[in-house]
Amino acid sequence: MRRTAALLSSHGGAGGRSIPQALAAVLVCPLSKKPLRYCEASGSLVSDAVGVSFPVVDGIPCLVPKDGRLLDDHQEKSEQDSSTGDSSG
Amino acid sequence: MALRAARRLASCSRQGRLLLPSQAQAPCNPPAAAAAAFLHSHATSFGYKQVREEEKSRLVGNVFSSVASSYDLMNDLMSVGLHRLWKDRLVSKLNPFPGMKHLDVAGGTGDVAFRVLERIKSVGHRAMQGTLTATEEDTHIYVCDINPNMLNVGKKRAVERGYSEEHCLSWIQGDAEALSFEDGSMDGYTIAFGIRNVTHIEKALSEAYRVLKRGGRFLCLELSHVDVPVFKQIYDVYSFSVVPTMGELVAGDRQSYQYLVESIRRFPNQEKFAQMIQEAGFERVEYENLVGGVVAIHSGLKL
Repeated sequence: MRRTAALLSSHGGAGGRSIPQALAAVLVCPLSKKPLRYCEASGSLVSDAVGVSFPVVDGIPCLVPKDGRLLDDHQEKSEQDSSTGDSSG
Repeated sequence: MALRAARRLASCSRQGRLLLPSQAQAPCNPPAAAAAAFLHSHATSFGYKQVREEEKSRLVGNVFSSVASSYDLMNDLMSVGLHRLWKDRLVSKLNPFPGMKHLDVAGGTGDVAFRVLERIKSVGHRAMQGTLTATEEDTHIYVCDINPNMLNVGKKRAVERGYSEEHCLSWIQGDAEALSFEDGSMDGYTIAFGIRNVTHIEKALSEAYRVLKRGGRFLCLELSHVDVPVFKQIYDVYSFSVVPTMGELVAGDRQSYQYLVESIRRFPNQEKFAQMIQEAGFERVEYENLVGGVVAIHSGLKL
């Protein structure tokens, strides 16, 4: 649970498009119920557990399972690497 | 009495089983499995029509997109303003408190969420004599709706009412059957006039159970079944003749309101629905009929 909050808000400070803290603290992937990560490049929420990304439209996270997009493997990998670097630093 | 005890025991063991899947499912859920889950389809009802499951959610989506702008006006007309009192009653049963985390599902237009917020503010101020306390700042209400049009209506109303979103209100587009909230994260769960529209009621109930904390309360306001003889006949004429015509004249959409009245009749009756809530693991399940059963408020606790 903490991990979601940390991952989502680690990108938050600068962007302004980020997910508010209170929301980040409780959001999980609707399919796996595992943490989500905010991907700044695509402005979407990524569930690494199932490799699905969910859009954020007008500040409203869209976490309807059928609206999730399966991630391309390579893209997912590289994003995951860069995000891990970010949040540890 | 013995029967009730047996039922309670049975619901306890069900609870255990219900909790397991989400834990077992944990580490790596391959994308293929998730995708495959969507391919399964069975017949379900859309009003009186039999439709494929994925078709129902699309059709329900169309209904609500179509009526979003005139939704509140139609609610006022159809219920002669009573839906406001029903929602007040729902929130008073919830007994909101400062610092609570509350999830309102299918409440896109904010009707229930604003009431919860108002109530918390009045409770907090009475206790603290006007000073904003730390607990009050912890209050958070999550509004989850599958339909973006309804959420946009609610968000707009929140701005008009001067609620700053960052503080205590969040809007999430999500599915009642697959909620995107952490296990045991909510003190309360409400769903007003929403559960009738989900494809699998039992999935929505087990998700409600999952996201609630121990001691958390489930409350559901839904159009239900009238059993008072003469009143039932009047109500039937009203629903099947007056409501669709009103929908046509006001919202310019007869079919959506035809769906509405049919879906009410398809919904399980008070006793059956209470049983389903119990089967999802809730305890102290009870319901209250309002206006002779036109609507009912079901309540349950996660203990």
